[in-house]
Amino acid sequence: MSSEKKEPQGEDASSKTKSLSKLQRNKDEAAPEVEECFYASPIYDFLYPFRSPGSQWVTEYIIVVFLLIIKSAIGLGSYSGFQTPPMFGDFEAQRHWMEITQHLPVSQWYWFDLQYWGLDYPPFTAYHSYLLGKIGTFIYPPWFELDASRGMETDGIKSYMRFTVLLSECIFYIPAIVYFTKWVGRRKKQSPIGQFVAAAAILFQPTLMLIDHGHFQYNCVMLGLTVYAINNLLDGFYAMAAVCFVLSICFKQMALYYAPIFFAVLLSKSLFFPRLFNIPRFLSVAFATLASLFVMFAPLYIFGGVGNVLQSIHRIFPFARGIFEDKVANFWCVTNVFFKYKTMFTQSELQFYSLVATVVGFFPAFMIMIFYPKKFLIPYGLAACSMAFFLFSFQVHEKTILVPLLPATLLFTSTNWNNLSMVFWVNNVALFTLWPLLKKDGLWLQYCVCLVMYNWLLGNFSFITPRFLPKILTPGPSISNIAENYRRRSLLPHNIIWKIIILVSYLCMLMIHVLEYTIAAPSQYPDLWVQLNCTVGFGCFVLFWMWTYYKLITLRNKTIQEL
Amino acid sequence: MTVGEQLEESPEGLILKEELQPAPGGRRFSLWNFWICSLFLKLLLVPDYYSTDFDVHRNWLAITNALPLREWYYEKTSQWTLDYPPFFAYFEWVLSQFVPAAVRADGCLDIVPQGVFGALTVLFQRCTVIASEVLLFVVLQVYINTSPPAEKTQSFVVASSIVLSPMLLIVDHIHFQYNGFLFAILIASIVAARKRKFLLCAFFYSTALCFKHIFLYLAPCYFMFLLRTYVLQFEGFRFKSYKDLFRIIHWGRLFKLGGVVLGVAVVCFAPFARDMPQLLSRLFPFSRGLTHAYWAPNFWALYSLCDKVLTVALLKVPLFHRLILKVLSPKIFPASLDIIRQRLKKNANHGTKGLVEDVYFVVLPQITPATTFLLTLLYQVLAVLPLLFDASFKRFLGSLTLCGFASFLFGWHVHEKAIMLVIIPFSFLVVYDRRLLTSFKLVTTAGYVSLFPLLYKNDDYLIKTLYTYVWCVIYFFSLAKVIRLSSSVERRVFFLDRLGITYMCSLILLVSAVHLMNVMNWKYSVLEKYQFLTLMCYSFYCSFGILGSWLGLSWLFNFDEPLWQSLE
Repeated sequence: MSSEKKEPQGEDASSKTKSLSKLQRNKDEAAPEVEECFYASPIYDFLYPFRSPGSQWVTEYIIVVFLLIIKSAIGLGSYSGFQTPPMFGDFEAQRHWMEITQHLPVSQWYWFDLQYWGLDYPPFTAYHSYLLGKIGTFIYPPWFELDASRGMETDGIKSYMRFTVLLSECIFYIPAIVYFTKWVGRRKKQSPIGQFVAAAAILFQPTLMLIDHGHFQYNCVMLGLTVYAINNLLDGFYAMAAVCFVLSICFKQMALYYAPIFFAVLLSKSLFFPRLFNIPRFLSVAFATLASLFVMFAPLYIFGGVGNVLQSIHRIFPFARGIFEDKVANFWCVTNVFFKYKTMFTQSELQFYSLVATVVGFFPAFMIMIFYPKKFLIPYGLAACSMAFFLFSFQVHEKTILVPLLPATLLFTSTNWNNLSMVFWVNNVALFTLWPLLKKDGLWLQYCVCLVMYNWLLGNFSFITPRFLPKILTPGPSISNIAENYRRRSLLPHNIIWKIIILVSYLCMLMIHVLEYTIAAPSQYPDLWVQLNCTVGFGCFVLFWMWTYYKLITLRNKTIQEL
Repeated sequence: MTVGEQLEESPEGLILKEELQPAPGGRRFSLWNFWICSLFLKLLLVPDYYSTDFDVHRNWLAITNALPLREWYYEKTSQWTLDYPPFFAYFEWVLSQFVPAAVRADGCLDIVPQGVFGALTVLFQRCTVIASEVLLFVVLQVYINTSPPAEKTQSFVVASSIVLSPMLLIVDHIHFQYNGFLFAILIASIVAARKRKFLLCAFFYSTALCFKHIFLYLAPCYFMFLLRTYVLQFEGFRFKSYKDLFRIIHWGRLFKLGGVVLGVAVVCFAPFARDMPQLLSRLFPFSRGLTHAYWAPNFWALYSLCDKVLTVALLKVPLFHRLILKVLSPKIFPASLDIIRQRLKKNANHGTKGLVEDVYFVVLPQITPATTFLLTLLYQVLAVLPLLFDASFKRFLGSLTLCGFASFLFGWHVHEKAIMLVIIPFSFLVVYDRRLLTSFKLVTTAGYVSLFPLLYKNDDYLIKTLYTYVWCVIYFFSLAKVIRLSSSVERRVFFLDRLGITYMCSLILLVSAVHLMNVMNWKYSVLEKYQFLTLMCYSFYCSFGILGSWLGLSWLFNFDEPLWQSLE
């Protein structure tokens, strides 16, 4: 037993000593790039004792279990539409869907009482609701009784619904992310602990946690399926990637924001790279896509005919609604202050303009991915493309920021300090733009805790490690060996201009929060603070979008080491 | 010499060995990050369920804030009368001084039969728990900092295991109590004992006692330890006449020690000097039953299990009854089956539906407070006696743990929360030898699992189970890595180890099965009728683990000499 411990085992140990010596060297030279970018963060500090090869299984346990604990703890708070009859909110919508899919034939799903949360997501959501509703009905039928259960808010239904989100996340999201970080980490020769820290950085993303487990939605399924699709692309299973992506779209149509990039990669991989006209691959991808689409919509057709399918599509794409509903940090909502689009143009004109703007926005990314379908470029391409959709397309919700945020967050697998800082920044901005929504849901405590926790865990607050406390309290890393560098690190890029931009944006956010807390908005502009929030968010998102394009262009000829 | 070099030289490879890089300041072994991280979780738990203990403490805040000191122990508008010693009352008074106006308006400081308050009061009181718990972190940080360099890693593991303990999370931050703060004072006395600062040790212990009298259970051990190490001196002692016995006692020290203890007691109780009988009747309510709200997983739980099994067996197989009667006299055993049936009928009227009630045994002899008291005392004396011959710190910890065990297992009206009195001293002890680990694992898993029924809501199910589970994974793993094998001969009973592991794994099954039963009980009328059954499952099953752990530790404590050879 002891001999095992004494002799470091083979490759892992040697690579570790290498990385450590490199780390040491970098510390001495104060070089800009270090192997473990998060090494001055508390999360690194927590995982540090478990970094030897024999104990890495513990690391995985710790991350995933603590993730579930934190998410259940967030779930203790209120949810969207809590105690606000008659319509309630997203929680009631999801519960209602479980209720109607339980008790109505498939032909009725997209037709039943559309005024009260009619089903308006694609069929996979309906099947998902059906399954969870079946389980729930088995446990306690009154939860999903037709009509009688409307607006139910008992403890039982709440904890069951919260549990279903956790369950969906455990199946669809967590394994996908862990696999992705391990795949990239192995290719980049990242140390195991670095891979785990990257996985934790992605999994603890506060925006998704608060929307799924606080506000209440099942975004994790859609996002997770997209990551499964990416993983399949990484491994070269193109047909499977297509299937996963179709499932993702069939869960929530927002996944269409990614569609151009998946289309570009699959097309270029089957027509141009690595050899011209790989017809079998092309056929298999095409067949897989069509077949999975067909399977998804088949029950609707079988039980309700073509009309049912058309109705579902009509429900999924509600073009009759305006260009934006609530305040959202995209182009149309922010510039609406100066140009009143709704009075200047008709609905169909607006639809056309937004379509043009969106296509112009994502087309360069599409072309780059056609010509350079490199695996490590996929997250950048997805981020650029979906951000274009978020900024310019029609009928965008504030929660939709999760879609561009996912590929951006996947870049936490990078080891480049500048990239990490940018990704981190956009995560903070995204959470900030959700503040009006979360405030409405009564989740202010969860918002504050998650925001601070995420920043602190990844080391953004290490610079304020207090010095004024008495020596016995010794704030700082608990056991990792980095006492000196610990204080100074916070996630900011090296470029001075970016540094200023980021700091100014953080200051603006802080100002807006403070102003909102202290001063009531003037009566003629009741939405002043929300509008300011959106404006700051929009500015930051545009800058980040530019940055993803810049990276796409500069990285197109590089290797995964530069990710 | 830095810590790193020390670690590398130690004979058994401790963790982190091969990567040690001499950092400029050395490792910090700081609990700072643990505090911040747990703070986030605790804040997220603010909107969670709280028990009636919340209203108890709110009522005490109100009483101490509004009433003059003399009336604190007489006030009985609410059923939650003040029944902690005066120091805790002062503590509540101090807290009540910080109540902001908004919280006061929320109903936090109203003396009413049933508290009426909103989210602000909850937030305020939860924050007082979090703030007072800082003391625990400070004390344990001192413990780490004062431990010798070679033991720092071990001390760090122990300290962090205590601050992150699921017990504190469940009982303090969800259920609502101030144990973190109270145990900080007890731990301070343990730290003082380790540094052999006996007056400080006595001071902290008596202070802790004046905060919460449950620590009285540990008194025999402290008494013997301080007597042996501080007051008695056997050096150069030769018996010539009885006068010499007088010289063993170091009178100066005795008076100093007495002064400290009495001083604390006087400061605590003097303002209530005229109301002592009332105060004592509040502190020691002997009218309560053998078991608390539901069965604590102790010896009496097993006793009543035996009673139930025997009852069924006797009624089903009358031959068995006749056989037993040949051996036992009818005085302690029911003479006929009719008597058993009569008693069963009588019990059915009382029921054991998890309420604070007296319990009547059907077959086995009834238990009186005197019996439990004598049994507790007997096992405490057995635990304390070795201290008279060998008063090392290790022995002290062992005896402290066993004192806690004795009171938990055999005491009258034991709370399931009292298992903390065992686990906390045991945490300090376990790092001295690998063989203690199995026993420690048993008592922590069984003890923590037995706390689960405190949080009966579905919301908390995942939090309590996952947190306990991950705590066990982390700390059983870390402890196994950090603890040395101190004795040269590795005498371990592997069969018992395996049995322990099986037991711990089966706890997972128990918890899931019981939860499933609770969720589905509307469906099956049998389950609905016997709701207390789930609680009984918990206490019976956990009591096996705790009893087993006690037996294991007692064996090692009394019969294993290499373990206790002191290093000093």
